Amino acid sequence: MTNVIQVAILGLLLGGVYALMAAGLTLAFGVMRIVNLAHAAFIIASAYISFFAFDKLGIDPLLSVVFVMPIMFFFGIAVYQALFRRIEGSAKFGEMTVLLTFGIAIMVEGLLGFVFTGIYRKAQPGYANESFIVDGLFLPEGDILFIPKGQFFASLLSIVLLVGLWAFLRYSQTGYAIRATTQNRAAAEIVGVNVRRVSAISFGLSTALAGASGALMSYLFPFFPFRHWQWVAVLLALVVLGGMGSMKGAVIGALVLGVASSFVVDQIGPTWGPMTFYLALFLILLIRPQGLFGKEVPV
Amino acid sequence: MAILEITDVSAGYGAGPDILQGLSLEVEEAQSYCIIGPNGAGKSTLLKVIAGLLHPRSGDVVFRGESLAHRRPDQVLATGVCFVPQDQALFPEMSVRENLIMGAYLLKDRALIKERLARVYEMFPILAERAGQDAGKMSGGQQQMLAMGRALMIDPILLMLDEPTLGLAPQIAQQIFSQVEQLKSMGLTVVIIEQNAQRGLELADWGVVLDLGIVRFEGPSEGILGDPRVRELYLGKAAGSGEKK
Ligand SMILES: Nc1ncnc2c1ncn2[C@@H]1O[C@H](COP(=O)(O)OP(=O)(O)OP(=O)(O)O)[C@@H](O)[C@H]1O
Ligand SMILES: [Mg+2]
Repeated sequence: MTNVIQVAILGLLLGGVYALMAAGLTLAFGVMRIVNLAHAAFIIASAYISFFAFDKLGIDPLLSVVFVMPIMFFFGIAVYQALFRRIEGSAKFGEMTVLLTFGIAIMVEGLLGFVFTGIYRKAQPGYANESFIVDGLFLPEGDILFIPKGQFFASLLSIVLLVGLWAFLRYSQTGYAIRATTQNRAAAEIVGVNVRRVSAISFGLSTALAGASGALMSYLFPFFPFRHWQWVAVLLALVVLGGMGSMKGAVIGALVLGVASSFVVDQIGPTWGPMTFYLALFLILLIRPQGLFGKEVPV
Repeated sequence: MAILEITDVSAGYGAGPDILQGLSLEVEEAQSYCIIGPNGAGKSTLLKVIAGLLHPRSGDVVFRGESLAHRRPDQVLATGVCFVPQDQALFPEMSVRENLIMGAYLLKDRALIKERLARVYEMFPILAERAGQDAGKMSGGQQQMLAMGRALMIDPILLMLDEPTLGLAPQIAQQIFSQVEQLKSMGLTVVIIEQNAQRGLELADWGVVLDLGIVRFEGPSEGILGDPRVRELYLGKAAGSGEKK
């Protein structure tokens, strides 16, 4: 029993971080219908910023979100203005964004490989290898639970950022505009929302979330430029499970698959962890392509 | 004096042909207009051009002395021109109240927004009753009232309604018509597209018949209904039934 709880806790902690990663991806899709295949590449690029800030300047990776997020926000706006804005009116916008973001992903990967080489990186702040130990409580005599500090802090930061994002979308003027544009772009235009401005801001927010995710990745998961392909598959599984564009769905999808993969790793073996996501992606597309919270689209 | 002057406007979608082909029309303040014409005549396209959702390829749209031809929709709205499109005008996963608040998106003054909200609730009590409900879960008639209520949040000078009674049961359509009457009596300039030509023309002061992207006939509504050419060409069967082919 204690082992089951232990595995579930680890899964939930991972799920919290996945939720942050998926939130950015689903936001871009919700507002602009951009399936951003470069989202994971942006996360890895951000991980490099945090890694070197820690390695060279001794800045804590968790703290680095303070500058990584703004940097990635403006980077996202620049990418949007330079590349997406001009094709926004196109009837083939959907197809074009897939190719465009695929191209961006390859370019970012190539650039990172060129500058930082392909070797594995991982920041090692003090807490990365420490755990909180829980005993007593409801646990059987002598049993203990480990809560890895690094993952705990990462999860906590993810929750803070996601709650912040939720409150922003729920209560701010721009948040109203983003939700309106997500639900009905034409109607948003009619009530006076400048949908291009909203799109640019949303894309910036999406990449800022990739920035925060990268800061966490820098010490949680070893990374190198090519790794983003594995992550983008994981992220697609999360958002497809929840329903593309649904923020609530992305968070729930992330928690569910975080826990599921945690159990798979525990029961079958670590190499099967990523398989959980690919299998889930495959099954969802087969059984319920619109995901848990997505709207059914006529095929 | 006309508050809206449309001069020689040509417009179309993407690289497609001109849908509006040099259309001209003048709209007088505090008058109501009913636009009729066959499917595909360009009625909705005309309202989209006025609303800034589609830019004219040539010609001009001037509202109270200002050209709207190359303005963004939010800029057009800020001048007091508000458009309620034919369908899917709402934010389905927002509550009725949130939808109304979105209608006042351009306003900054919270006290004013509250005041407007109260006024819309007074005009459409059903919206007050359903304030917390998701817009997407309401009936067609209620959705139409919400779309109209939302348009009033900005207190427009010119209100354009694109087939507000489409697909509604006759009694519900009747309710919508009487709401429009009320807006007229409040001094709003109203332009309405109506499939049920008979009913729409009874409501409006002025009738405009559109076909193939230009204005074919216009005149006082009674005159239009009586004009044999119009009757023969455009009213025909549609006049009584209000059905869409
Ligand atoms: N978004 C669009 N893209 C391309 N063509 C369009 C678009 N909307 C309308 N059209 C075309 O423009 C023409 C006029 O359409 P419009 O909607 O203005 O007609 P309408 O008079 O409002 O007709 P209805 O009574 O059916 O509403 C039609 O031929 C239509 O196919
Ligand atoms: Mg129409």
